[in-house]
Amino acid sequence: MAREETASIDLVDAETVRQLSAAVMLAALTAVLAQFSIDLPGGVPFSFQPFGVFVAGLLLGPVWGGFSISLYVIVGLAGAPVYSNAAAGLGYVLGPTGGFLAGFVVAVVVIGAVAHRSLTPTPISSLSVIPTAIALLAGLVVIYLIGLPWLATVNGWTLTRAASFMAPFVVGDLLKTAMTTGVVAGGTGLLADRR
Amino acid sequence: MLTYTPGSTLAHRLDPRTKLAFQFAFALVAFTASTAPQLFGVLVVGLGSLRLASVSIRAVLRAYRVVILILVLGPVVAAVTPGPPWLRLAPALISLRSVARIIPILFVSAAFIHSTPIRETRAAIQRTIPGRPGQLLGVGVGLTFRYVPVLRADLRTVRDAIRARNGDTRSLWERSQRLTVLLVDRALRRSDQLAVALQAHCFAWNPTLPRLQFSRLDIPVWLLSVGFVAVAVVDLLGL
Repeated sequence: MAREETASIDLVDAETVRQLSAAVMLAALTAVLAQFSIDLPGGVPFSFQPFGVFVAGLLLGPVWGGFSISLYVIVGLAGAPVYSNAAAGLGYVLGPTGGFLAGFVVAVVVIGAVAHRSLTPTPISSLSVIPTAIALLAGLVVIYLIGLPWLATVNGWTLTRAASFMAPFVVGDLLKTAMTTGVVAGGTGLLADRR
Repeated sequence: MLTYTPGSTLAHRLDPRTKLAFQFAFALVAFTASTAPQLFGVLVVGLGSLRLASVSIRAVLRAYRVVILILVLGPVVAAVTPGPPWLRLAPALISLRSVARIIPILFVSAAFIHSTPIRETRAAIQRTIPGRPGQLLGVGVGLTFRYVPVLRADLRTVRDAIRARNGDTRSLWERSQRLTVLLVDRALRRSDQLAVALQAHCFAWNPTLPRLQFSRLDIPVWLLSVGFVAVAVVDLLGL
């Protein structure tokens, strides 16, 4: 009898558990970083919003990275205040900046696919500077390709007007792609032995 | 910050699946609204949702202040032109019409957040999405919600440690790199611990789900949701 009960439990395999745990942690990390900024000289805030997306794609690859950022979006949809400025809900996702959230989900898949050139992630220590930089830039392009038309549609603007409105943020985002490339491929030892 | 607050309002007593369906149906019909009476209608439903969940408009405006600021800027930015006549009314009206659709969706969304605990939403996801993807998403949502405060505490620890070592005087580049690397390292260590804990607790594909049950209260909300979808489809097809 006891044997029958044990046999009816369908355990999740170790690899799936490992990937799920990492995806959960990077979704939570994205939520934390979305609400964190450090002050530049003059009091201008430097937001950490897309770092979680970049790291999820590079560490987990396209499949589990995509799953991780989807989790982040769904947790916010479910009501947890995980989006920028502690916002949440469907109203935020369908609002003017919601396209950038949708862009994150597609971008993480693109980053993972371009960086690893496979559905299965390779160890992060094997990623070199140029593929990493290309992957992150491709991800950034995807974020803006989805976010800008969305912003224009919701606010009833032309695409040019939406692009002018977002232009100042592009500089910061390019800086963030360079920093992430530096972290992952620039020889920092801490992450070298991970995944 | 807008979060779940226990209560016994009508919205609190609805099944989470009903509330999710209503939210999506309402968003669909709001996006197809274009005339003034239609926009007024969706605004009334949005305000009604807030009332049924006992949420104040002030709390919603505070929670979504950045989104609302961008929405308010919408017609202003649309009106401005780089030459004479400097301001044009027609683009501002088009923008105002687009923006007016979003405010009621924010209201309904706030009513949902205020009246639905995360664990119920998780159960709704798990019951609605079939098979293993639904199971992984349900568990993932629950765990992510649990770990956000943990990683927020980690972030504070890392930031304080950097500050204590006079890290604030270093360049933006160095500070950002150090903080990101230390935080990712901590997150990955926690992920390893979580994986071990899940396996130790016999994490299975066929767990016992929290109980969800429809009641008579859900019927009118479902009918309304179906009505919204029908109106939206008719509008989209131009019938």
